[in-house]
Amino acid sequence: MRVRVRFFAGFRELLGNEIIAEVSEGTTLPDLIHQIALKNREGHNAIFDEHGHFREYVILMRNARRIDIADAAKHIVADGDDIAVFPPVAGG
Amino acid sequence: MISIQTGDVDISRLIHDAKQRGIGAIVIFDGIVRNDDIREMELEAYEEVALHELEKIARDATEQFNLQHVDIIHRIGRLAVGENILIIVVGAGHREEAYRGSRFIIEAIKAGVPIWKKELTKNGGRWVPGEHGHGLGSLR
Repeated sequence: MRVRVRFFAGFRELLGNEIIAEVSEGTTLPDLIHQIALKNREGHNAIFDEHGHFREYVILMRNARRIDIADAAKHIVADGDDIAVFPPVAGG
Repeated sequence: MISIQTGDVDISRLIHDAKQRGIGAIVIFDGIVRNDDIREMELEAYEEVALHELEKIARDATEQFNLQHVDIIHRIGRLAVGENILIIVVGAGHREEAYRGSRFIIEAIKAGVPIWKKELTKNGGRWVPGEHGHGLGSLR
């Protein structure tokens, strides 16, 4: 099963722009991002707190729809998913 | 026109095109790279979501303030001090609607459109923090 994970802004600088990940059945959204973020400790620490929970400012989108970080563990990723992870927005 | 683009726009052309029968007021918002002791500003967007959200904001503003014309052009890429970042052109029958519609649009963009700014300084760079802690307040 293959999914795309994109990071933006400061997260992108630490973890890369776009990662195509092979995942196994039953992988949750936090597990997926955790596995990818492990490649860079600073990037991991920017997204997860010391308990492994998403930091409160992290924004997640799955297939262009916002996912509440409190509910992220309920999301089992599916083949073809497009996941975005980013910090608070600052346009305008 | 609703657009996310690297290039600049001709604001006088936008004003010209906004003028139509029934328009009594046009309000222009032009957000500019401010000289906060920076060299350049770099802007980045989650483009497909940001564009969709700008279109939604334009529709909401049009409906809520009875606007007759809306342009939103948000630039991305590297911009020098003094360059345009965001141009909003709002046309309405009367000034009150035009002013309120313009204000609604800029505040909605700052609250919920996935775009980020990095100020590039002689010592490196710093990401501009969002005004709204969580951002994307309107996206569901």
